[in-house]
Amino acid sequence: MSERTEKRTQVADVDRSLYDFTYSEEGYERYEDGLTPDIVRAISEKKDEPQWMLEMRLAALDTYHAKEMAPNWGPSIAGLDMDHISTYVSPRTKQAKSWDDVPDDIKNTFERLGIPEAERESLAGVGAQYDSEIVYHNMREEVAKDGVVYTTIEDALHDPQWEPVVHEYFGTLIPPADHKFAALHYAVWSGGSFVYVPAGVTVEYPLQSYFRLNAEGAGQFEHTLIIVEEGADLHFIEGCSAPKYYEANLHAGAVELFVKDGARLRYSTIENWSKNMYNLNTKRARVGADAKMEWVSGSFGSHVSYLYPTTILQGARSSCEFSGITFAGATQDLDTGCKVILNGPHTTASVDTKSISKDGGCNTFRSSVVIGRRAEGARATVSCQSLMLDDISRSDTIPAMDVRNATASVGHEATIGRISDDTVLYLMSRGCTEAEARTMVVGGFANPVSKELPLEYAVEMNNLIKLEMEGAIG
Amino acid sequence: MAESTNGAQQDARPTGRMTLERVNTPPAQTWNYLRANDITLTVPVHSRKGDVYFALPRLFEGVECGMGQAVTTWAESQAKDAHYVEVKAGEKRDEPIVAQEDTGVMVRAGAEATIVICTPAGAPTQDTTAALVRIIAERESRVHVLEFVCGGSEQRLDSVGIIAAEDARIDVRQFFLGAGTTAAGLAVALDGNRARLELTCRYLGREQDILDINHVVRQRGRNTRCDVRESGVLDGHAKKSLRATIDLVHGSSGSEGAELENVLILSDDVTNKTMPVILCDEDDVAGNHGASIGSVGPEQIQYLRDRGLSVQEAEELYVRALFDEALICAPTPQSRAAVLARATDVLGSEVANDLVEGLGLGDAEEV
Repeated sequence: MSERTEKRTQVADVDRSLYDFTYSEEGYERYEDGLTPDIVRAISEKKDEPQWMLEMRLAALDTYHAKEMAPNWGPSIAGLDMDHISTYVSPRTKQAKSWDDVPDDIKNTFERLGIPEAERESLAGVGAQYDSEIVYHNMREEVAKDGVVYTTIEDALHDPQWEPVVHEYFGTLIPPADHKFAALHYAVWSGGSFVYVPAGVTVEYPLQSYFRLNAEGAGQFEHTLIIVEEGADLHFIEGCSAPKYYEANLHAGAVELFVKDGARLRYSTIENWSKNMYNLNTKRARVGADAKMEWVSGSFGSHVSYLYPTTILQGARSSCEFSGITFAGATQDLDTGCKVILNGPHTTASVDTKSISKDGGCNTFRSSVVIGRRAEGARATVSCQSLMLDDISRSDTIPAMDVRNATASVGHEATIGRISDDTVLYLMSRGCTEAEARTMVVGGFANPVSKELPLEYAVEMNNLIKLEMEGAIG
Repeated sequence: MAESTNGAQQDARPTGRMTLERVNTPPAQTWNYLRANDITLTVPVHSRKGDVYFALPRLFEGVECGMGQAVTTWAESQAKDAHYVEVKAGEKRDEPIVAQEDTGVMVRAGAEATIVICTPAGAPTQDTTAALVRIIAERESRVHVLEFVCGGSEQRLDSVGIIAAEDARIDVRQFFLGAGTTAAGLAVALDGNRARLELTCRYLGREQDILDINHVVRQRGRNTRCDVRESGVLDGHAKKSLRATIDLVHGSSGSEGAELENVLILSDDVTNKTMPVILCDEDDVAGNHGASIGSVGPEQIQYLRDRGLSVQEAEELYVRALFDEALICAPTPQSRAAVLARATDVLGSEVANDLVEGLGLGDAEEV
C-alpha cells in the first residue's frame, strides 16, 4: 500500500508530518455511516459477544437517541453528524504479538510514532489500536508471570476466567446513561484494553496503549477497563493521534479504573488527535481506602474536546492528584478539566492544571470538587493557571465547589495572564530570539506537568509544545 | 394599600403566583447535575389591570441586572411606580438615596452619591419583597451602594445593575443577614477606561436559610480594576450558592480583576456551593480568583480556648463581627433598625445592645 501523501483532503498546516500521514483504507472492512440497531448488532456479532453485551449495546443505543446535549454549556458540536460517521473500520488483520506479524502500513505507522522503540526500552507491555481494532498486543513474560493480565476487552470476554470479571465491572463506573456520548460509546464500543493487576503486585514498567485513527469520517470507541487490586501498583500510559482531514472524526472512548484498597494507579495521557477530531471521551476512577489515583494529562489535539477525568475517593484516606496541561491553537475549542468527589473521611485531592491559548484557540478549564457529608477532614486544593499568547484567543475558568461537611477544607486559586514583556526582554538581552524566549517561557510553564511523565513522553510533550509554538510569533 | 406593623406597605391587590426559572444565571455555566447554575423562585403576581405605570427613562433598559431579565420584567410589573433620581454633575450628595422597588439612579459626571437598599426591619410580614435598582455612573463619579437584607419577608429578591463610565469609582457593600430565602444578583459593567469596582459581600446563613448570590463584573474599558471579596458564615441547614464571574472582555487591555471568597462552615448539614468564574478574551490582562472553604481550625480554636473562649463563643464571635460591620456601615435609621432587629433575633438582645453601645449609637430601642 502506498502513502496517500497527495490526497487532496489532507490539510496543509504547520509541520506535523510525524502525525499527519495516512494510508489507504483499501481492503479494510468499513461499516456504513450512521447509527442503527443493525450496525450495533453487526459489531456485536463480529466480536461474537455474550448476549448480555449485545443487550447492553442495544439499550445504550436507545439511550443515545433519547438523550440531549446540555444547551447551556460547552463548545458546539454542531459539525458532528453521526449520519456521516462510520462507527466501525477494521484493517483485515489478526491481532499480533510480534511487530513482524503486523501489516507493513500499520507497522510503519507505529514505528513512525516510536511505539516499538518505546516498548523495547521502557515499557512492560504495549497495545496498539488501529481504527476500531487492536492490531498488536504484547506484554513482557516476567510481568505475566506475576499474574498481570493485559489484553483486549474482546479477548477477556472470550476467556471463561475473565468474562465474569468484565461482566461485573464493565459499565458500572460510567453507566451508559451518564451522558449522550457515554451511551453512544456503549452502543458501538470496539477495542481498548483490559488490565488486571493482582493484589500486592507492583508493575515496575508502565503499560501503554496507543490509539491511532487512520480512517476519514470514522469514530473510535475503545473501552479501557483497569482493575488494580489491593496493594498493587501500576502506571498506565495512553497515547493517541490521527492525521488531519476536512471531514469530522469522532473519539468517544471510555476509561473505567478501579483502584482497590492500598493500591496506586498512575494514568498518563498524551492526547494529540488531529484538529478535525471531536474528542468526547469519558474517564472515571473509583479509589478505595488508603489508595492513590494519579492523573497526568496532556491535551494538544482535537477540534473540540469535552474531557473531565473523574475521581471518586470512596475509601477512607484515599487520595488523588491531577496534573494537566491543555494547549489550544487555531480552530480548537478545548473544554477540559476534572471532577473529584470526596466521599471518604480524610480523603485528599490536589488538582494542578495549566492551559495555553494561542492563534484564536479557546480553552475552558471546567472542574468540580464535591465533598460529601461523610467526608470528615477531607482536603482539596485546586490550582489553575492560564496563559494567553495573543489577543485573539480565549481562556475561561469555570470551577465549581460543593461542600457539605464542616470539617472539610477546600482551597481554590486560578490566574489568567500573559507572558510579561519584561521576561521576554530579559531573555532576548541574553541572546534568545523573541520566538525562542516565548517558547522557553511556555516550556517552563508546562514543566510541572511534563516532569510527571516518563522521560520519553516528557520529550514528546515538549516537542508538541515546540511544534505548536511554531508560527506563534508573527 | 395597607400598612403593616413594621411600616412596610402591604399590597391589597389580587395576587397569584408565578415561577421564575433560571434566575441568577451566570454568563458561563457548568454541569447541570451540580444544580449550581441558577435558582428557581416562586413569586407573587399582582394584577396591574387599569394601572398606569411610570417607568424609568428608556436609557435604563440597557443596564444589565444581576438576577437576569426575568426578574427585571417581574419586578417592573409589580412595582407601584419606578423611582428616578438624578444627582447633578459635580454634586456631592450627603443624604443617602433609599432605593425602592424599582429605582433608577443617574449619577452625573463628577458627582458622588450613596444608595441604600434595605429590607423592612423585623419579623417577616410579607411573603416576598424585592428591589430592582439600576445605576448609571457617569465619568469621574463616585457611587457607594449599601445593601442590607435582614429579614422582613420570607423571600427577598435584590437585583442590581450598574454601568460605570470612564474613571468612575463604584464601591458596593452587601450584607445578607436575613432569614428565609435571599436571592441577590449584582451586575457591574466597567465600560469606561480606568473604571473601578470594589465589592464586599458579607453573608450569614442559619437554620433553613437559602442564600443565592450572583455577581457579574464585565470589564470592558481599558485599565479597569475590580476587587471582589465575599465572606460569610453558614450554620444549621443553610444552603448557599455563590456565582462570581469576572468577564475580561476583548479590548479591556491593562485591566485586572480579582475575586476571593472565604466561607466558614459551622455545621455538617450546611450545603455550600461556590462557582468563581473568570472569562478572558484579552491577553493583556490579569485575572485571578480564590476560594477558601472550611471550619475554624483546631489551632485557632485552641488559641481562643487559651483565652477563655468556648468553641461556641468563638463561632459566635464570627457572627457578631458580621453584625458589627453591618451596623457600622448602615447609614440610615431604617437600615440600622433592620440590622439591629436581625442581630437581636440571632444573637439575643444583650449582644445587640452591646453592639449599639460599642458603636456609640445610644440605646438599642432608640436605634
